[in-house]
Amino acid sequence: MTTSTSLLYLIGLPFAGAAILILGGRRTDKWGHLLATALSASSFAVGVYHLFQMVNRPIEMRPTSQKLFEWISVGSFNVDAGLLLDQLSICFVLLITGVGTLIHIYSIAYMSEDRDRRRFFAYLNLFIAAMLLLVLGDSYLSLYVGWEGVGLASYLLIGFWNQKPAYATASKKAFVMNRVGDMGLSLAIMIAFATMGTVSFAGVAEHAHHTSEAALTAMGIMLLVAAAGKSAQFPLQAWLGDAMAGPTPVSALIHAATMVTAGVYLITRSNFVFDAAPTAQLLVVIVGAITLIFGALIGTAKDDIKKALAASTMSQIGYMILATGLGPIGYAFAIMHLITHGFFKAGMFLGAGSVMHGMNDEVNMRKYGALRHFMPITFITFGIGYLAILGVPPFAGFYSKDMIIEAAFNSGGTQAILLGSLTLIGAGITAFYMTRVMILTFAGTKRWDEGVEPHESPWLMWFPMAVLAVGSVTSGYLLYHNRALVFWLHPLFEDHGEHEELLKPIVVSALALTMVAIGVSIAIYKYLRENIETVAPDNVSWLTKFVRKDLMQDQFNEKFFMRPGQLLTKTLVTTEDVIIDGSVRGVARMAIGSGSGLRGLQNGFVRSYAALILVGALILIAAIWVVVS
Amino acid sequence: MTFTSPVLSYTLLSPMLILLGGALIGVLVEAFVSKAKRAVVQLTLALGVLSLALFQVWNIRGEQSISPAMGSIIIDGPAVLLQGSILIISIIAILLIADTEHFTALPAALPGSEEEREAIAMGAQVTEVYPLTLFAVAGMLMFPVAGDLITLFVALEMLSLPLYLMAGLSRRRRLASQESALKYFLLGSFSSAFFLFGAAYLYGFSGSLDFAGIQASVVGGGGNDVLLLIGMAFLSIGLLFKVGAVPFHSWAPDVYQGAPTPVTAFMAAATKVAAFGAMLRIYYTVFANAQWSWSPMLTGIAVITMLLGSLVAATQRDVKRMLAYSSIAHAGFLLTGVIALNKAGLDATIFYLFAYGVATVGAFAVVTLVRDSSGEVTDLNRWKGLGKRSPFAASTFAFFLLAFAGIPLTSGFIGKFSIFSAAYESGATGLVLVAILSSALAAFFYIRVIVLMFFSDATEDGTSVEMPSILTRSTIVVSAAITLVLGVYPTPLIDFISELAIFIR
Amino acid sequence: MFLPLVGAAVVSVLPKANEKAAKQAAFATTIAVLLVTIGMVLSFERENVAFQFVEKYAWIPSFGINFAVGIDAVALVLILMSTILAPIVVLAGWNEAHGGRWSVKTFYILILVLETMMIGVFAATDVFLFYVIFEAMLIPVYFLIGGYGTGERAAAAVKFLIYSLVGGLLMLASIIALYVMSGDQFGHTFDINELSQLQMSSTTQSLLFLGFFIAFAIKAPVWPFHTWLPDAAASASPGTSVLLLGVLDKVGTFGMIRYCLTLFPEASKTFTPVILILAVISILYGAFLAIGQKDIKRLIAFTSISHFGFITLGIFAMTSQGHSGAVLYMFNHAFSTAALFLVAGWMISRRGSSTVSDFGGLQRVTPVMAWSFFFAGLSSLALPGLSSFVSEFLVLVGTFTRYPVHAIIATFGIVLAALYILIPVQKALHGPTTPGNENLKDLNLREKIAIAPVVAIIVVLGFYPSPLLKIINPATTNIIAQLGFSDPAPSFEDK
Repeated sequence: MTTSTSLLYLIGLPFAGAAILILGGRRTDKWGHLLATALSASSFAVGVYHLFQMVNRPIEMRPTSQKLFEWISVGSFNVDAGLLLDQLSICFVLLITGVGTLIHIYSIAYMSEDRDRRRFFAYLNLFIAAMLLLVLGDSYLSLYVGWEGVGLASYLLIGFWNQKPAYATASKKAFVMNRVGDMGLSLAIMIAFATMGTVSFAGVAEHAHHTSEAALTAMGIMLLVAAAGKSAQFPLQAWLGDAMAGPTPVSALIHAATMVTAGVYLITRSNFVFDAAPTAQLLVVIVGAITLIFGALIGTAKDDIKKALAASTMSQIGYMILATGLGPIGYAFAIMHLITHGFFKAGMFLGAGSVMHGMNDEVNMRKYGALRHFMPITFITFGIGYLAILGVPPFAGFYSKDMIIEAAFNSGGTQAILLGSLTLIGAGITAFYMTRVMILTFAGTKRWDEGVEPHESPWLMWFPMAVLAVGSVTSGYLLYHNRALVFWLHPLFEDHGEHEELLKPIVVSALALTMVAIGVSIAIYKYLRENIETVAPDNVSWLTKFVRKDLMQDQFNEKFFMRPGQLLTKTLVTTEDVIIDGSVRGVARMAIGSGSGLRGLQNGFVRSYAALILVGALILIAAIWVVVS
Repeated sequence: MTFTSPVLSYTLLSPMLILLGGALIGVLVEAFVSKAKRAVVQLTLALGVLSLALFQVWNIRGEQSISPAMGSIIIDGPAVLLQGSILIISIIAILLIADTEHFTALPAALPGSEEEREAIAMGAQVTEVYPLTLFAVAGMLMFPVAGDLITLFVALEMLSLPLYLMAGLSRRRRLASQESALKYFLLGSFSSAFFLFGAAYLYGFSGSLDFAGIQASVVGGGGNDVLLLIGMAFLSIGLLFKVGAVPFHSWAPDVYQGAPTPVTAFMAAATKVAAFGAMLRIYYTVFANAQWSWSPMLTGIAVITMLLGSLVAATQRDVKRMLAYSSIAHAGFLLTGVIALNKAGLDATIFYLFAYGVATVGAFAVVTLVRDSSGEVTDLNRWKGLGKRSPFAASTFAFFLLAFAGIPLTSGFIGKFSIFSAAYESGATGLVLVAILSSALAAFFYIRVIVLMFFSDATEDGTSVEMPSILTRSTIVVSAAITLVLGVYPTPLIDFISELAIFIR
Repeated sequence: MFLPLVGAAVVSVLPKANEKAAKQAAFATTIAVLLVTIGMVLSFERENVAFQFVEKYAWIPSFGINFAVGIDAVALVLILMSTILAPIVVLAGWNEAHGGRWSVKTFYILILVLETMMIGVFAATDVFLFYVIFEAMLIPVYFLIGGYGTGERAAAAVKFLIYSLVGGLLMLASIIALYVMSGDQFGHTFDINELSQLQMSSTTQSLLFLGFFIAFAIKAPVWPFHTWLPDAAASASPGTSVLLLGVLDKVGTFGMIRYCLTLFPEASKTFTPVILILAVISILYGAFLAIGQKDIKRLIAFTSISHFGFITLGIFAMTSQGHSGAVLYMFNHAFSTAALFLVAGWMISRRGSSTVSDFGGLQRVTPVMAWSFFFAGLSSLALPGLSSFVSEFLVLVGTFTRYPVHAIIATFGIVLAALYILIPVQKALHGPTTPGNENLKDLNLREKIAIAPVVAIIVVLGFYPSPLLKIINPATTNIIAQLGFSDPAPSFEDK
C-alpha cells in the first residue's frame, strides 16, 4: 500500500468541469463542450499515468490510497473521506475515463443541434466524476456518495429532454427504483457498522473473518439489492428499458459501459463478505442467472433498436453478476467480461446512435433495412461489436464470455450443470436477437419512411466508434493472454485453489459456438426475407405477446407496488382530514356546544336566578348533611 | 349598666373616615355648587379624597392592631394591601366614570321622555355618581378589615347600595340598565339575607359575633358543628354572590351588560377585591382550623365556576357579557388561591386581585370607546376589523385579553402561575389541573376576539372608535402599563406583598 | 442577545412611509446579530460541556426565578442556525410584507422581536424563563401568520396558537410541580441544573415528562400532534414558514433534549419505546402525505413532519451517533427547508398559485429558479454529498445499532423521499411549459444572493461537517453518558 496525492485529480478535473458549466450558465455555451471533453481526457491521462506507476511497483505495493480529510466522526463511527486505487479500481478508472472521453467526443457532433448542449456536457462530466468517486472511494460510505451521484447524473441525463412527459417519467422511475437499491446499500452499511464497527473496505475485510455468518449473509443480501438496483438486475430491472429515453451517447456510456456495471463492482469489491456468506452468494448466482435469461428473452421481441440493446445489456450484466456469485474463480472473469462488454456494447450503442442520426432519430428497426450500403463505417463497427457479443473467436466476447460459462460449469456441485446450461442457452438467445438486430438494420430491403436519406455520420462520431471497435477485437485477447487480468487482480481475492474441471475449455467453447450457430440460423431463417412488416404483426403467439410486454415487469410493479402505494396515500390523506384533524375540531365544537347549552341557565328572569341561588344553597346544606351524618 | 366611651385609633381608620367625609362633602357640593362647576369640583374632590386615603394607607402600612375600633375593625398587612389595591383601582376607575357620556342626564325622567331630552339639551349631568362611588369605596375598604360579623354586614350593604343605584344610571339603553339595577338589588338583598342567616347560626355556634370569639370556639371545637357548618355555608353564599361564583353568579352577566360600562368596570374590579379580601380574612383566620369543613365546599364551587365561566364565555356574542363570564372564571381561579390556605396562596391571591382588577378596568375602558350613533357597540360581530379602525383600541384590548388568558409577559401570567403553584403546594393537584384545563378553554375565546379585531374585515355599519378623552385615555394607558410592568418585573410588588401579607389573629 | 430588540426599536421609530429604511435597518440588525453569534462560536470551548457565556440576574427572587442564560453546544448550534436564517429571510422576503394586513414596518418589527425570542428560548437556563419565552414567542408568529399570510390565514393562525397554548399549559402544570417539589427539597428554584437533581417517584416523573413531551411533540411536530403545521405553513408567508419550520419547531426537539432527557432521565427511558414508534410513524406518515399533496407549501410542510420524525428518532435512539445526528439534522433541516420554502415562495408569487400542477416546464423558462428548487429538493431527499445526508445517515446508523427494526422501517423513508420530491419536480419543472408560464421572470440578483449562502452551506456541510460535529459531539456524548447509556459495541469479537 502506498500513498499518493494525485488521486483527487481523477475526480477533481471532471467535477470542476461540471461545476464551471453549470454555474457558468450560458456564458460557457461557446466552449463548454470542449472544456468538458478536455477535462475528461486529462482525467484519463492521469489514470494511465497511475497505471504505469502501479505496474512498476511490486505487487503488495500496488494499491495506493489518499486520505483527504476527516469526513464524519461521531463516537466510534469514524469515516474519513479517502480514495483507494488498486488493481480493481484502476480497471474501472480507465474504462470510465477512456470510454467516457470517446463519448464526449462523439457527443460534440451528436448534440451539436441541441440548444442545451452545454448542460449535457455538464451532466456528462458530473457523471464521470461521480462514477470515479464510486470506484475510488475507500469506504462503503464514500462509495455511497458516488453511488447516488451517478444515480443523479443518470436521472438528469435520462430526463435530458424532459419536456417530453414520458421521458421525465422514465427518469423519475429510474431514480426511484435505484433508491430502492440504495436503501439496500445503506442498510448494508448499517449492518457493517453495527457488527464490525467500521465501514471502510479494509476494516470490513479485516473483521469479516470473525463476524457471524448471519450478519454477513444479511449484509450480502443488502449489497445484492443495491447491485440489483444499479445494474438493472432482477427484480429491479424494469427501469433500464425506459432509461433509453436519454440521448444515445448516454445510453452508451451510462446504461451500457459503466454505471450499470457498478453492481458488479460492488459485489467484487465486497468479495470478503460474500466469500464468507454462501447463502448470499447463491442468491447472487440465482439473480444473475434469472436476469441473463430474462434480458435475453426481452431482447428477442424489441423493435426499438436501443431497447433491444438495453435488454442485451441487462442479460450481459446478468452474466457478470452470475460470475461474481461463483466466488473467487468468477470475479476476474466478471471484470473481464465487464471490460470487453464495455467496449462492444458502447460501440454498438454509438452505432445505433449513428443510425438514428442518419434516419431522423427513427428507432424502430422495422423501418430500417439495407443500411449497410449507406453507412458502411457504422455497419462495420457495429458488426464487429456484434461478433464480439456473440463470442465468435477471436473477438473479445469469445474470451470473456466463455470464461464465465466455463466457470459456471466448474463451479462444482449439481448447480454447476444447471448454471452452465443456462449460460449456454443465454448465449444462444443472444445470438438470435443480435442477429435479428443486424438483419433488420443493415440487411434486407429499405423500409424507410419517405423523406429519409440515411448518410454516414461525421468523423467526430465514427472515430470513437472505430476506436471502440478496435477494443472489441483486441481487448479480449489482451486480457486473456496468459491470464493477464486474472493475475493482475489475483492479490485482491482469496483463492481457494483450483477446481475440478467438469468440462474442458475446448468443449465449452464448442458447445457455446454451436448454441450461437443455432441462434444465428433461426434468426436468419425468420428475418432474412423481403417482407418485414413495418409495424409488429399481431397474429403472434401469446408467448411473443408476453415477451413483447417485457414479461409483464411493469404491469407487475404497477399492480403490486404503485397501485397499493397510491391507495395507501389516498387513504392516509383522508384519515388526516377526517380522523386526526377531525377529532381536534370535534373537541372544539364540543366545548362550544356545552357552553351554549349552559347559556340556557341565563334566561333573564330574576326569579329563576334566585331559584338557582336557592338550589345552590340547598345543595350546600345537603352536602353538609352528608358530612355531618 | 355602665357605658364606656369607645376608644378609636383614628389614624388606622383614617382611610375609611376620609372617604366617608369626602362622600358627605360630595353630597353638599351637589346641593350648593352650581351645575356648571359641579362636575369639575366633584371630580377633583373625588380624586383628592381617594389619593389622600391612599396616602394614609401607605402611612399605616406595617401597623397591626385588632382594636382600632374596639375589635370591630382589624388593621394588618393584608388589610393595608387590599385597601391599597381598592383605592388604586378606584382612582383609575373614577377617571373613566368622569367621562360623563355614559350617564343619564336625569335619572328620574322616563327613558326617551320629553324631560330627558330637555335635560340632555341642557347638558345636565348626574354628578351624584361621585359621592355614590366614594360611599361604595368606603364600604369596600371596610369589608376586608371588618372584625366582626356586624361590621362585615354593614360594610357589605354600604358597598352594595350605591352600586345598585349606579347600575341604573346608564344613558343609553336605559331600560336594560334599570332592569339590571333592579335585578342586582333583588338578588343582592336575597344573598344578604343568606348572609345574615349565616351570621345568626354562627352566633348560635359560638355565642359571639366577633371573629376572635368565633375563631376561639372553632379552635376549641366545643360548639355544635352543624351550626358552624350551616352558618359558614350561608355566610359564604353572601360572599360568593358578590364575587360571582357559580351558582351564585347569575346576576353578573345581566348587570355587567346593563350597567354603564364605567360602573361595570368599577364594580367588577373593586368589588372583587373587597369581597375576596373579606373571604381571605374569614377563611385564613376565623375558619382556618375548620378547613376540613369548608375546603371541599369551596373546591366544588371553584371547579364549576372555572369551567362554566370559561365554557359559556366562549359562546358570548356581546363583549360585556363575555367579560362578565371571564370575570366569573377568574373568580374560580381566585378561589383556588383561597383554598390553598397557605402563605403563598395569600400572597398570590392578593397579587392576582390587584393585577386582575387593573386589567379589568382597562378592558372596560376600551369597551367604552367603540361606539356608534346610538352609543356603545358591544356586539362582537361589529368589532370586526377594529385593528384597522383604531390600532390603539384594538391592540390595548388585545393586550388585556392576553393578560386574562395568562400569556407570559403580562401580569395575568404571573398571577396564574403564583396562584396555581400555591394551590399545588397545598396538595390540591386536581384543582390545579381543572384550573389549567379551563385556562386553555378560556384562551380559546380570548383569541377568538383578537382574531375578530385583527384578521376579519370590517363591516361598514357606522361603528366608529371614539377618540378617547384624556381621562379615558389615561385610564387605559395606566392600566396597560401596570399590567405590563407586573408581567415583566413583578418582583417589587411580590416582595412588598409577601412581607406585609400576614394576618394577625 | 438583545441586539435584535434594539433593531426592532430602531425600526419602530422609523416613519411608516419609508419602507425601504425599515427593511435596511432590519437587515443590518440581523447581520450584526449574525456577526456577534459567529464571534461566540469562535470563542466557544468545545470540550467544556457546562453552560458557557453564562449570565444570571435575579428576576423574581421570591419564586427563585432568575433571568439566567447560558449556552451549551446544542444551543449554540441552534442559535447559529437561527441567526444565519434571519438575514436570509429578511432578504428573501424583501417584498413579502407588501399586501399584508399591516405596514411593512410592523412586519420587520415582528421578525426582529421573534429573532430575539428565538435566541432567548435556546439560551435560557432557567425553566421559568424558557417557558415565558416559549409562550411569548407564539404571539409574534401568530401575527405574522395572520397578518401577512395568505388564504385561510386567520384560521390557521388560531389553530397554531390554540395547539401551542394547550401544549404550553400542559408544560406549565409540570413546571409548577417541579417548582413546588424544588421548594420541598432544596428551596424554590428554576435552575435547570439544580432541577435535574430533584428526587421524584417514577410515576411523578412519568407524568411530568408527559407534560413536557406533549408540549414539545406539538411544537416539533410529532405524529399525531402535527395537524396544525400544514395549515400554518400553507397560509404563512414563505419567510414566516421558514422561521416557523426552520427555527420554532426546533424548539420542540431542542426541548426534548434539554428538558425531557435531563430533567426526567428515568421517564425518558420508560417512554422511549412509544416515542420511537411515534417517530417512525411520523417519518412514513409525513412522507406518504407529502406524496398525496397538491399544494406545494403543504407538501413541504409534510416533508418536514417526516424529517422531524428522523430527528426524534435520533434523539431517543440514545446513541452518540443518533444524538449528534439529530442535532446536526436540526441544523441542516433548517436550510434545506428554507431553500424549499423560499424558492417555492418565489415560484408562487410569480405564478400566483401554489398548486403544483399549475407549474410545468419551468426548467426551460426559468432555469436558475428551477435549479434552486431541484437542488433544495435533493437536499431534502438527503442526497449523499449534501448536508442532510450526513445527519440522516447518522440518525439511521445510530438507531440501527440499538433498534435495528425501527431503523430498517425508517429507511423506507428514503425511497418515499425520492417520490415526494421528484413528483413535484417533474410536475413543476419538467414537461412542456404550461400556458401562462412562458414569460415568468427568473430569479433576480437579490434572490440569488439570498439563496446562495443556503446552497453553499448545504454543499459544504455535506462534504465537511466535522466543524459542526466537533462542536456537537462532546455535548451529545455527555448527555448519553448522563443517561447511563453507552454506544452498543460492534458484535464481531463475541462470536
